[in-house]
Amino acid sequence: MIGNVYQTVCPGCNMGCGLYIREDEEGALLVDFMKSSPANLGKLCRFGMKLPHHYSKATSMVDGKESSVEDAIKAASDRLKGANVTMLGVGNTTNEESLAFSNIADAMGTVVNTGMGVYSELPTECHPTVGVGITLDDIESAKRIALFVDPYVQYPLLVRRILAAKKNGASVVSVGWKDLHLADENRYIDPDLYESELGLDSESVIIADVHPNTDPGWVKRMLNLALKTQAKILFMKPFVNATGVDLLCKGTGQKGIPEIMDGINEGSIKTLVILDSDPVELMPNSDVAAETLKKLDNLIVITSRDSPVNKMASIVIATEPLCAKAGSFMNVEGLLLNNSGEDTAGIDAMSALSQNLGGAAMDYQELHNTVLESIVKKFTKPKYKELACEVLDIGPFEEKKGNLIYLYNPFMWFDQSDDNDFVMVNMNTVNKLGLSKGGMIALTSDAGTVNMRYRVEDMPDGLILTAKKLPVATGWTTVVSTEAV
Amino acid sequence: MVNVGDMLVGYATDENVRKRGASGGLVTAVLAAALEKGLVENVVVMKHINEFEAVPIITNDVDEVLASTGSLHSVPVNLAKYAMGRKVAMPAKPCDAQAVIEQAKRGMIDLDNTYIVGLNCGGSMHPVTTKKMLVAMYDIDPEDVVGEDIEKGKLIFKTKNGEEKAIAIDELEEAGFGRRESCRFCTLKIPVNADLACGNWGVIGDLAGSATFCQVMNDKGVKLLENAIEAGRIEVEPASDKAIAIRAKVNDVMVNLGSTLEKEIFPDIPDKERMQYYMEQMEDCIDCGACKEVCPVCACGEDSKCTMFHSLVDNYKMSMYHLVRLLHLSDSCIACGQCSDVCPSDIPITLLQSRFAIPSQRKREYTPGMNVDDVPPFFEVILK
Repeated sequence: MIGNVYQTVCPGCNMGCGLYIREDEEGALLVDFMKSSPANLGKLCRFGMKLPHHYSKATSMVDGKESSVEDAIKAASDRLKGANVTMLGVGNTTNEESLAFSNIADAMGTVVNTGMGVYSELPTECHPTVGVGITLDDIESAKRIALFVDPYVQYPLLVRRILAAKKNGASVVSVGWKDLHLADENRYIDPDLYESELGLDSESVIIADVHPNTDPGWVKRMLNLALKTQAKILFMKPFVNATGVDLLCKGTGQKGIPEIMDGINEGSIKTLVILDSDPVELMPNSDVAAETLKKLDNLIVITSRDSPVNKMASIVIATEPLCAKAGSFMNVEGLLLNNSGEDTAGIDAMSALSQNLGGAAMDYQELHNTVLESIVKKFTKPKYKELACEVLDIGPFEEKKGNLIYLYNPFMWFDQSDDNDFVMVNMNTVNKLGLSKGGMIALTSDAGTVNMRYRVEDMPDGLILTAKKLPVATGWTTVVSTEAV
Repeated sequence: MVNVGDMLVGYATDENVRKRGASGGLVTAVLAAALEKGLVENVVVMKHINEFEAVPIITNDVDEVLASTGSLHSVPVNLAKYAMGRKVAMPAKPCDAQAVIEQAKRGMIDLDNTYIVGLNCGGSMHPVTTKKMLVAMYDIDPEDVVGEDIEKGKLIFKTKNGEEKAIAIDELEEAGFGRRESCRFCTLKIPVNADLACGNWGVIGDLAGSATFCQVMNDKGVKLLENAIEAGRIEVEPASDKAIAIRAKVNDVMVNLGSTLEKEIFPDIPDKERMQYYMEQMEDCIDCGACKEVCPVCACGEDSKCTMFHSLVDNYKMSMYHLVRLLHLSDSCIACGQCSDVCPSDIPITLLQSRFAIPSQRKREYTPGMNVDDVPPFFEVILK
């Protein structure tokens, strides 16, 4: 065979879309469609189609200079011995690497934080319901679907599932930020009215999502809605192995990325070790996150790809590209998906690091067996009780102010360019501000001003949606003042 | 001595290849010989991922070619991209071969260096749909399947324990299973556009199941066969009149079925409803671009007419991207179905495209992908 064909999973979200990555003789990558993949039948979204851009190889570095991986491991070991270490792994890599990372945390007497702070605010019995959703096939047999995400932008491979459900007779209600074509009803109602107004029952499905910047009150609200209506629920997640890493790290604290950033700013976190997780990309404001990370004494990055955090890391331990790794992922419905790659460089590096730190040696097969024993089983979803919650207030708004809201999608989580250099506003906003056709809207917050093109959508007054990270954002939702440019 | 127009029946001389091959292993042996004797530098083979899916790989290893034997009604793929800049031989269904020829017209590949061994095709099936069909209609565990075939209008599956179960394709398609929609109205079943047209239709008597019927379509077909004979990899004999007649009859049945289904699949849309129809069909598009990426006749590259005037910031009811593509491909679309296969919103793009392409191509008595010298009627620039 000339070149390589890897059977792998798209890293854009936790859907588990199978695909082939082809590597030609020159090392150039191409995406090919894996039509036998049960999650996506080979179909891919915009992000999946652009995957070759995602696979920018990392280089091992020590203090800004290129080094061998062995030297990077040795330097990391020296700096980690005796240090008070915080570890972060959101699930952008295999179960096996995540477990190896977790074993290093054990050896150092600490835990791996998955970055999903919401888990620490939920009772343990809620974790399986949030962590593992219903099957994707179950969506197609639902009688009613309540959408709290925009599938077109955020999780595009959900679109065909919802359309299939409609063909089977389902009705769809969207409770998102803007009107959706596939919804029979688009509702913008008080969260207190969800239970009485949305018409959900045990044959219904709620689709929401959980991510590092989720408002915990919102997740509790969704859980309560499912509990009271007996509807099934699916929480989509942004990272390929978010489900697997959650099951492997269950009960270990699950500190959120914002909390970690606060810890750095307060000086309580001095050494951060991260596994395929870039806070610069993951935090709503890249510039602020980068400034925060500069305050660390030691930033040690173990990663398979080049990303902004590598440039500011004390040490980068480069591993093989995700598609080439031996290992497995668990998708949002709890399906274990195996990579066809056979490379174990990442695990070997972590094994060496573990031994240098007084821990045990690790090998791939042993880790894989542990993964199979510990997370691939019929897990139960315990009953939970109604949760007390408050949902973030996003309005009403003063004249000429709006709420800039992130419509999170894979391009945003990896801060990659796309044809998304615009914001969405409604016609009232256009008229009120006197925006001209083809003109721009200026958005101003404490973080500065940015001029953006705009697109008109049917959506509530005062909202400004963006599918691109903007430098004026201070959180996933930011109050901004607006004017025509 | 082989001549253009010969109709032959043959098989691989290697017993192992003959046994494992779907119909006597002739195609595998011809491809292996082409590589072995230096007629080509590489061969594109379909590597089995599982019983329902194969991926094209390029190899210069004869053993890898020989290991790729076996029948598989896998969905079409864009084979031409594996031929670019190479001296290569490849197996191809009729629509695969059409795509390769269209790419040659656009100067993307050199057909003189591309040898196409065509395979008869009654239709292909989507892997996941097939697995669901096996459970629902055949009561067979997909993991137990070791082979499949289409014969006398029936789809046959063979299982590990040696059993065969056949169900009429009509019945399967009425239940929403069976062949992909584009295969249902396809009327090119024998790859007469390839260098060799091979298949099991017309293989009768003692040779049934262990030989391949092969029609030599052109000089490259002659070269392929003579090369394989010289290499001692195949044996051929003239097909009998009866075999030729049976092959033609099977083809007629399949082509007529395709023509009949075309009328069912494309009901008339009243003039006043057309725009609304297309807008509604396209409205769930997520702008992934997969339909362009996978299109085997598109040779435009990333920066092209259909993408030039398209931006996500526009929210037209129907994107310029689709409008341009519907027109741009109307003389070249081969209805292979790949755009529908990969659409994440399950938009039946091939059907929409065919509503433009079928009348356009018929009016000009032009079928794309049949002959490299036939210029598409709307070709603006002839590349030299």
